[in-house]
Amino acid sequence: MNELVVALGWVGIYSPMAIGAIGSSIGCALAGAAACGAMLETEGGYGRFIGLTALPSSFVIYGIVVMFTLNREVTPENAGALFGIGFFAGLAFLYAGIYQGRSCADAINAAKEKPEIFGLSIAPAAIIEGFAVFAFVFALVVSAGIPAAGGS
Amino acid sequence: MKDPNVYIMLMSSLPSPEALFLAKRPPLSRLKLDRRLRVLAPEHARALRLTEKVVHWGDIPLAATDAELVARAKMAAREIENETVRLLIRDRLEIRTCMAALRRRLRGEPAPASGTDWGFGRWTRHIARNWTETSFRLDAVFPWLREADKLLKDGESLPLQRLILQQAWKSAKRRKGAHQYDFEAVVVYVLMWNIVDRWGRYDGEKAVERFDRLAEAALGDHAKLFGEGRA
Repeated sequence: MNELVVALGWVGIYSPMAIGAIGSSIGCALAGAAACGAMLETEGGYGRFIGLTALPSSFVIYGIVVMFTLNREVTPENAGALFGIGFFAGLAFLYAGIYQGRSCADAINAAKEKPEIFGLSIAPAAIIEGFAVFAFVFALVVSAGIPAAGGS
Repeated sequence: MKDPNVYIMLMSSLPSPEALFLAKRPPLSRLKLDRRLRVLAPEHARALRLTEKVVHWGDIPLAATDAELVARAKMAAREIENETVRLLIRDRLEIRTCMAALRRRLRGEPAPASGTDWGFGRWTRHIARNWTETSFRLDAVFPWLREADKLLKDGESLPLQRLILQQAWKSAKRRKGAHQYDFEAVVVYVLMWNIVDRWGRYDGEKAVERFDRLAEAALGDHAKLFGEGRA
């Protein structure tokens, strides 16, 4: 039983990075598809579209930071906490990545028709980023309370 | 094709439908549209072709009878699996069924006998039962029918066409709903493109008429002189 609990602890440490990477990949792919389509239709502003495509890549960075914060010797005492924080932070980054990708695709579509609203059209994607930042910051705050090996 | 990225790319490569409607002519040529639609999976391309074949007038032979058109629509409804696309076809053909009924009635024809394939959709029997009512008692469903009847009686063909195309536009937009980057969104887009294209043609004809009128007014008696000269 202890082995399973310890294994879950390791899953928890690696999850925010791995699941965050999946979220960033999907998000960038969605926004990238919109950017490619928009570039077929428009005569300029390609750099802005491509720039927006990279926006969902922040989630993998948050995931890496959370992973390093959680990284420690895994014991049956701290494995549950590592799993809970790491896995659910990763899940938050995954969904934030997917929906931010969609949001970026919408922004690209809107800016394609009306370039002057480019800045405003990014607002929904920025709000999603804000939610992911909540998940990121509170993962760091909560992880400070996880006991290190030996119960200290 | 299940990859959502392809639909995102396809829809992003098309000007917005609203931009289509504001334009006098579609800002995207049919050739260009067809080139973009090449990314559709074979089964979706086929469903789109079937939909256009039923809905788009350009694909309907002039000599086709009502029964043939209804048979074609029924065949498409059977073969197309996508529920939203089936509803899009139904909506459009119900508008056409109403217009066919108004035209028949104006010609003095009696109500179609039950069992005849004269229209498509949910209201064919209801229309036949309420043949003498101005809007076939369908005001709640098609509030534009009274206006269409009046325009038809007055021979106002251009405003009537505008009204019909507006209704077709509205129904397509309603069905689009939350579909933004999927096959349904592509079908709605193509149907809207056809509406704008058709409206652009009417507008072109109207412009020619207006030019003739203006030319006649400007030339005044000289026009007669030129006319006499030609005769």
